[in-house]
Amino acid sequence: MTTYDDRENLFDLTATVERIRNAVEQVIEGKPEVVRLSLTVLLAEGHLLIEDVPGVGKTMLAKALARSVDCSVRRIQFTPDLLPTDITGVSIWDQQRRDFEFKPGAIFSQMVIGDEINRASPKTQSALLESMEERQVTIDGQTYPLPSPFMVVATQNPVEMEGTYPLPEAQRDRFMARVSIGYPGTEAELRMLDVHGGASPLDDLQPVAHAHDIVKLIETVREVHVSEPVRRYVVQLVAATRAHADLRLGASPRATLHLLRAAKASAALAGREYALPDDVQALAPAVLAHRLLPTAQAQLGGRTADVVVREILAHTPVPASPGPRGL
Amino acid sequence: MTLASVAATLLTATALLPLIDRGSWYPRAFLAVLLTAGVGAAARRLSMPRPTVVAVQLVASLALLSFYFARQQAVAWLLPGPDAVRRLADLAGQGVRDVGEYTTPAPLTDGIALLLIGGVLVIALLVDALAVTYGLAAPTGLPLLALYSVAAGLSDEGTHWFTFCAAAAGYLALLLADGRERLTRWGRAFGGAGSVSPARSGQRTGRRIGAVALGVALLAPVALPSLGGSLMAGAGSGDGPGGSGPVDSVDLLVELRDNLNETDDRTALTVRTTSRRTDDLYLRIVSLDEFDGKTWEASPRRTVDLPDRFPTPPGLGLQVDRREVTSRISAAGWYRQRHLPMPYPATWADAVGDWRLDPVGMTVIGGRKDTTADKSWQVASLEVLPTREQLAAAPAPGPELRNLTELPASLPEEVGERAREVTKGSRNAYEQAVALQEWFSRTGNFSYDTQVEVGEDSRAITRFLRDRKGFCIHFSFAMASMARSLGIPARVAVGFAPGSEQGDGSVEVTLRDAHAWPELYFEGVGWTRFEPTPTRGTQPEYTRPETAPGASARPSEAAVEDTASAEPSARPSASVSCTVELKRLDACPEPTDPALVADGGGGPRWPGTLLWTAAGLAALLLPLTPMLWRLRVRALRLGAHGRGEADVLPHTLRVWRELTDSAWDLGLPPDDSLTPRRAAERIVRGGRLDPATAEAVHRVASAVEQVLYAPRARAAPGLAADVRGVCAVLRGSVGRGTRLRALLAPRSAARVRWALASWMAGVRSRLSRRAA
Repeated sequence: MTTYDDRENLFDLTATVERIRNAVEQVIEGKPEVVRLSLTVLLAEGHLLIEDVPGVGKTMLAKALARSVDCSVRRIQFTPDLLPTDITGVSIWDQQRRDFEFKPGAIFSQMVIGDEINRASPKTQSALLESMEERQVTIDGQTYPLPSPFMVVATQNPVEMEGTYPLPEAQRDRFMARVSIGYPGTEAELRMLDVHGGASPLDDLQPVAHAHDIVKLIETVREVHVSEPVRRYVVQLVAATRAHADLRLGASPRATLHLLRAAKASAALAGREYALPDDVQALAPAVLAHRLLPTAQAQLGGRTADVVVREILAHTPVPASPGPRGL
Repeated sequence: MTLASVAATLLTATALLPLIDRGSWYPRAFLAVLLTAGVGAAARRLSMPRPTVVAVQLVASLALLSFYFARQQAVAWLLPGPDAVRRLADLAGQGVRDVGEYTTPAPLTDGIALLLIGGVLVIALLVDALAVTYGLAAPTGLPLLALYSVAAGLSDEGTHWFTFCAAAAGYLALLLADGRERLTRWGRAFGGAGSVSPARSGQRTGRRIGAVALGVALLAPVALPSLGGSLMAGAGSGDGPGGSGPVDSVDLLVELRDNLNETDDRTALTVRTTSRRTDDLYLRIVSLDEFDGKTWEASPRRTVDLPDRFPTPPGLGLQVDRREVTSRISAAGWYRQRHLPMPYPATWADAVGDWRLDPVGMTVIGGRKDTTADKSWQVASLEVLPTREQLAAAPAPGPELRNLTELPASLPEEVGERAREVTKGSRNAYEQAVALQEWFSRTGNFSYDTQVEVGEDSRAITRFLRDRKGFCIHFSFAMASMARSLGIPARVAVGFAPGSEQGDGSVEVTLRDAHAWPELYFEGVGWTRFEPTPTRGTQPEYTRPETAPGASARPSEAAVEDTASAEPSARPSASVSCTVELKRLDACPEPTDPALVADGGGGPRWPGTLLWTAAGLAALLLPLTPMLWRLRVRALRLGAHGRGEADVLPHTLRVWRELTDSAWDLGLPPDDSLTPRRAAERIVRGGRLDPATAEAVHRVASAVEQVLYAPRARAAPGLAADVRGVCAVLRGSVGRGTRLRALLAPRSAARVRWALASWMAGVRSRLSRRAA
């Protein structure tokens, strides 16, 4: 049941998010839907995988997002020689104290930017991905919790595949959503030339929200109501990916959870205290597509996972309570 | 293919053969069909256009008909000029009249022959044009079926199974030939060893279908109860020929015997008569005047409309005394008979329905649908009172009656010899007849036995004369044959012997009164009844042998005088007007009677009228059903609703459904995968709605979202008004045709079909669960 406080919180949330969005959009021109999706993932406690060709602003988006929120930010440039301990941290023998001292790795930040994640060795990748899921790091039997909020924004380049280690399905599954930024439109690109021609706008970006604000927003999002029909709709959509003829691998139950949480965040972003099928529909391609494995035949036919998800959306009836009999 | 079509027509035409007493028309039809088919084949060979082929065949057919029927009028015997066409038209008209007048089997008049040959020729042309010229073999079933149906419909006892098989075989042959021809048009099919070529498999399929169809056609009549057609017991066992009248005397006679053996002696007819001699009240159904050596049959008769007054019975002279009596006869509901049982000779009859008179046999025959069941009819008849002298003095019959003394060559000599032996010493025909009757009924030691078979062979009479055992059929057949052998015109009447008089003065005639008796012709007296069957009926006064020789008194005079003295006014006048006497006898039609009967069997008519009115209204309303349904549903959806929290959800959903359905009716089909918001956008876009109306649509969609997905449903006021407004704007945005269609045939009526389908599926699944 929605209370006055809930509505207040929602109002705060939309106001805060609006500020962040405005800030980010100063850097990322003409991609409001990408910015919105990033914010949705942030509020849904997910991690974002940005997959696109080089130079479209993947890192810029991640940085802008991190910079807008006043929180600790670490950027990891993934290379083949990156070691898992570079990410998680390492215990070093302290001669004076005659004890091991834990030196936290790059993961111990509220916002982690993993650049070109597919360039790291699988071992390193998995170290990162484990911490992403569990939100803690365990080294030498000692567990170190990661700060809150915690969000990994990883980028990967789908074109340059040489010397890369593509993320296995299980690891892609850890990301709540995958987003492609895409090339900007002509106007946006022209504006970009004006803005980015001199100094980098990123340098001027000031934090517009506090980390604890974000934690509060996340709490608010958790309170968003999801009615039974919408929950059922989410389950139906995910189940449909498992039964689809063009898919070798459907979405996992984790995907169901992620979709639901994303839908809640999306509703909160819209200032609504309840999720709609529209939220689910808007997020389903971003949340589900990167987890699906199309069959070879579908790939040959040019049917990507994204196309299949949209097809499923077009064929799954939107839940509605059945009307009175005979009408 | 041409040959197959000829065969199909000719085989089907065999069904017409039993309708006519002679089959001589068939070879002519055969030749005509063959010739027109040949003309068609030649025309096709010359690669004429298809309509020309048909036209050439038509001309050839006309020429043939002219040659057959209007040779004198036609130019060069063949070319039909105006005279020939007139002659053909006259003949056809004559044929139609003949068909109406004769019962089957009808004599082969020129008119009937023209109708037959012309009809078969038309069918042959149709079949040839369809199957060969236009290559459509399957539809030829229709003209063939028409031909067969005409034959089956005209034939009183249906067609013979053989003709059915012939017609079916002809059609199947045509289909098979067509299948083969199609294949040869495509060339030979290749097939490895052991594989079945399409031609063979096609033939096999054809044969299978044919076999199944024939099987069904032959078995169905066995499985289905046929209409009662028994002569005496219309509602009997039901194994008689469907709905037939007593035209087929063999069936008639077999049934007569069955009825005599009937254990359940039901009352068939109730008679009230002004006659004082009810023991002489024989009711005739039909008279059989043709003897082929095996059995007696009714010759083909020309019938006329029931006249006000029947013609004078043949041969009845003025000097013979007669009295007219009136009888009112009622048949039981189960008693179906196409002839009206009535006394002989009748002078007028009044019955409701299409009844016709056979002036020769003096019998009354019903139309195709008229039977005696549950009917009453009034009939006046003569009690003819000839004296023995008159009978004895009767001169030899004229040459016009010669055919009534004809006997087939197959009849054993023994019959004639026996007749002469029995009538030895008789001085005239009358005495011979009396002697015969006396021999059969008394001196010949014959015994009455209904278990004896009727016998349908030429030895049946000799067997009967040897065994001296039989029942009325044997006696009447034998006496009539023997009388003919003596030169006395004779025929056999079939009907009822006098029934038993009841306490109220009526006479009840039961099944076991079914009877056959000989009628012998005496010039000046006419057809005179004799009674050779022992223990059955009564022998007429004028035939009693003890008083016959030399007696001058009129045997019936005393009885008549008795009656006259006892009740002088009892003798009814010849007038048809209702006398006091008639009224007393309940023989007058009640004032309401004719009206009631004319109305089709009595009873108030209003239920029927009501039914017809309802049916008419239903037929009118049926096309409007979708509109009416839609209007009703709209009123329900946008109508009043409860104010409670529980009512918010159903009301909002109903209003939303109305909006989407209205859009659907106007050409925007619903899409289940669209969320309310997207659906609203689609309606706004599709209907090119103005911002205010678009806002109203979105208001409704938001209300739906709210009630469906929010934690608590909140009522949104004014939704129905919003929807009404939106619908009005939507209707204004489309053309008149779309609007009209939305009104009369709303697309959203498909929901009824879906609802029905889902209901059916539910029922089926419940049933299958129960069965499991």
